[in-house]
Amino acid sequence: MNFKELPPVKDQIRKCVRCGRCRTVCPVFAEIRNETAAPRGHVFMVQMLRDGVVAPNAKIYEKLGNCLLCETCSTFCPSGIDVHELNAAARAYITKNQGSVAKHLIFDGLWTHPHLLRHATLMMWGAQASGLQKLARGLGLTRLLPGDLPRAEKILSRIPLRSARSRLAETNRAKGERKLRVGYFLGCGTDLFNPDVAVATVEVLTRNGCEVVIPRDLKCCGLPHIANGKLDTARSLVLHNLDVFTRLQLDYIVTDCASCSSALSAKNLQFVLGEKEFAGRAAEFARKVIDLTAFLVDVLEVNTWELRATGPVRVTYHDPCHLAKAQNIRKQPRELLGLIPGVELTEMSEADRCCGGSGTFSLTHYDLSMQILDRKIDSIKATGCDTVATCCPSCTIQLRHGLKRHGYRARVLHPVQILARAYRGAK
Amino acid sequence: MDKRTLRHEMLRILDKDRVLSDDLDVMYYSYDSSFLTKIEKLYPDVVVLPRSTEEVQKIMRFAYEHGIPVTPRGAGTGETGGSVALTGGIVLDLSTWDEIVEVDVANMQVIVRPGVIHADLNDYLARYNLFFPPDPGSSKMCTIGGMVANNASGLRAVKYGCTEQYVLGLEVVLPDGEVITTGGMKSKAIKNVSGLNLTKLMVGSEGVLGVITKIRLRCWPKPKARGIVMAVFPALDDAPATVLDVYQAGILPSGIEILDQSAIRAVNQFKPEIALPDAEAILLFEVDGNPASVEWEGTTIAEICRRRATQVEWATDPQRMASLWEGRSVTATAAARVRPDGSRVFAGEDISVPLSRVAETLRAIRGLGQKYGIPVVNYGHIGDGNVHTAPVIDPENQAEVEKVKQLVHDIHLLAIELEGSTTGEHGVGAVRRGYAELEHGQAVGIMRAIKNTLDPKGIMNPGKLF
Repeated sequence: MNFKELPPVKDQIRKCVRCGRCRTVCPVFAEIRNETAAPRGHVFMVQMLRDGVVAPNAKIYEKLGNCLLCETCSTFCPSGIDVHELNAAARAYITKNQGSVAKHLIFDGLWTHPHLLRHATLMMWGAQASGLQKLARGLGLTRLLPGDLPRAEKILSRIPLRSARSRLAETNRAKGERKLRVGYFLGCGTDLFNPDVAVATVEVLTRNGCEVVIPRDLKCCGLPHIANGKLDTARSLVLHNLDVFTRLQLDYIVTDCASCSSALSAKNLQFVLGEKEFAGRAAEFARKVIDLTAFLVDVLEVNTWELRATGPVRVTYHDPCHLAKAQNIRKQPRELLGLIPGVELTEMSEADRCCGGSGTFSLTHYDLSMQILDRKIDSIKATGCDTVATCCPSCTIQLRHGLKRHGYRARVLHPVQILARAYRGAK
Repeated sequence: MDKRTLRHEMLRILDKDRVLSDDLDVMYYSYDSSFLTKIEKLYPDVVVLPRSTEEVQKIMRFAYEHGIPVTPRGAGTGETGGSVALTGGIVLDLSTWDEIVEVDVANMQVIVRPGVIHADLNDYLARYNLFFPPDPGSSKMCTIGGMVANNASGLRAVKYGCTEQYVLGLEVVLPDGEVITTGGMKSKAIKNVSGLNLTKLMVGSEGVLGVITKIRLRCWPKPKARGIVMAVFPALDDAPATVLDVYQAGILPSGIEILDQSAIRAVNQFKPEIALPDAEAILLFEVDGNPASVEWEGTTIAEICRRRATQVEWATDPQRMASLWEGRSVTATAAARVRPDGSRVFAGEDISVPLSRVAETLRAIRGLGQKYGIPVVNYGHIGDGNVHTAPVIDPENQAEVEKVKQLVHDIHLLAIELEGSTTGEHGVGAVRRGYAELEHGQAVGIMRAIKNTLDPKGIMNPGKLF
């Protein structure tokens, strides 16, 4: 769709009264502290682009790129503006006019094919494992990633050899009586970087009476593409996944990844597909999509009688932006943790403040991302907990990196991993 | 001086991360929250973010020597274009200079730099059981420097007054780079009547006399209790009559707010679950103080309201208070959404009239809205006659823009005609300077003379105030 015709661009820009409320909640503005990084500044610049006052170029992309798309400002905006959608729309507009070759290669060529993406990841893993990092860098392998990436190595320090796809069957039978048939939207982050989460997800779901289907041909949810100005690619990924899931006759589509569930939410699909194309099967699909913790707490009656304490675990919970702000899912992960014997939950201050990870943001804006992360790690340290629970692979990678940087020993786990351990203790 | 040289010179004074010298970067400083800056593009040549008095002095000396306009700016939340450069030059973004220099509990005062955010200051002072009473609606984002420069106030002005009542002294960098301290060089006194009151001259001067770099504020003990009365009136005139009765009963509430029918309908349309009764007016009284007096004042106000109101509720439970107040707290947002394709514009939004003429004013504004065919939502601080008007238009429709300009002009003239003022708390800035002569007559000549004495080259925030 034409940039100017996109609903947020067409209908929302005019609503911004530039009250500045967004300045006080934006994690990026808190670090940069001038108007070029204020969310209302982004809205202003999108307007300038729309009106042709400025032409799309890399410099403007860089300014708009100073945004995590964490949706905090959108949540607080008194005028109800979806600042993140405006920003994403403008990124797509600029990329279309001014994209880089590397970016096209990564987001259109690599990140649309799970197998290729896995191979690329494995090559990076191989480079680390065999101490060939220098060579890999010399070949420009790491430089292919967006932004100033050689630093990605610091963040993506441990890439598991086996992806979740290679460890899990396509259809996983319910243990005991089958109550529901659910599709598992296995996101790229979980698949490649946190396969143990996927294993735990399947284990917990099957144990609770779900037959779990992991379509082999499912592709990325499209969020990294939206964030990197590849809206059209995101659209085709969404359409592909719609085809895949619509065929399967599922009761629910569950995901353990906050970003995936927000990307597949009605709100985001409306943005990506447009109102017209959203109506019908996409709306039906979105109605079935649910975050894993919300599914376990609100839909399933989780079997608690088989849970055994695996020793005291002092847990603090970090709210991923794409769960807390994008979907207002805050209480379910906490309730789930509360069900597990031995878990002692301590709230950190500003639990829903962004960790600065935000998918590829930490790769493209390493220093800024670390500044944002430092605040988060300080909050975690103050709790004295030995475990940080969170529901997002990007947050998990980021938090692990931050904890290591700060020399604070704590594990970062998805609540479902702690739950699965408690079930295993029951064996 | 050409842009390039100016930018280069600023980079000699400040580190490069505190100078925005790119054509793209300076565009972001072309707006505040005013309607004016929504429809006009007013770019500065360079933006600097100083964080010490010496830095401000260096910038001012340079600007003075070369006759370059300087526009001080806080968080850019103003509604009058006051912090936007009308004729290029330098914008001083003071919002990152946010140090709380000293809290002097024994002397009930606090010293801050201009960039401290109002809500942050009060969070900090709460540790000492103190607070800085003026409370603008933009508390979470506006800076103390901006509040002082505009003599801001808010909901609680009815009891606690405006910023000026709390400013004990200021450090000001004058246009030529000299620094003065008002309120006594070394003074920590609360009472001080020596000399001409330069502090009061500077408060509300909107950046046309100098740059405020340090602020000594008086703090008050934080009240221990609060309560809310909500009353629903079938006739608009009942509302001001009730307010007068409350005053006559010897009660000074900390806030008295009105929603007229337009606001009630806007709130119900925006959030039907709030379910405000469809009436001519709703009044909200807030009382604060010690628990015993709050109880007495609240119940007495409720009793007075019952003489005319169809529905009255008195609450001290925090949850219930929040729900009674919810209608008021969403009004500004709701106003913006009365038209799905429209937007509220900040213009003619802040007139102030005598208490005795509030009902007349609200009726007249409603009439003007009808005359121009523009939806108008009215609410405001009825306790001190400060009316907030929200015209809702499509700001991208040129015909509507022209119509709303007329409407706003009529509202400003109305305020003056009804023995009021064009602005009660938001200030004059660029948008109301045209009414200076009409409001102040010959006194404007004296204002100009004062300005010329302090700023003979006219470099400080040109085009503002008068």
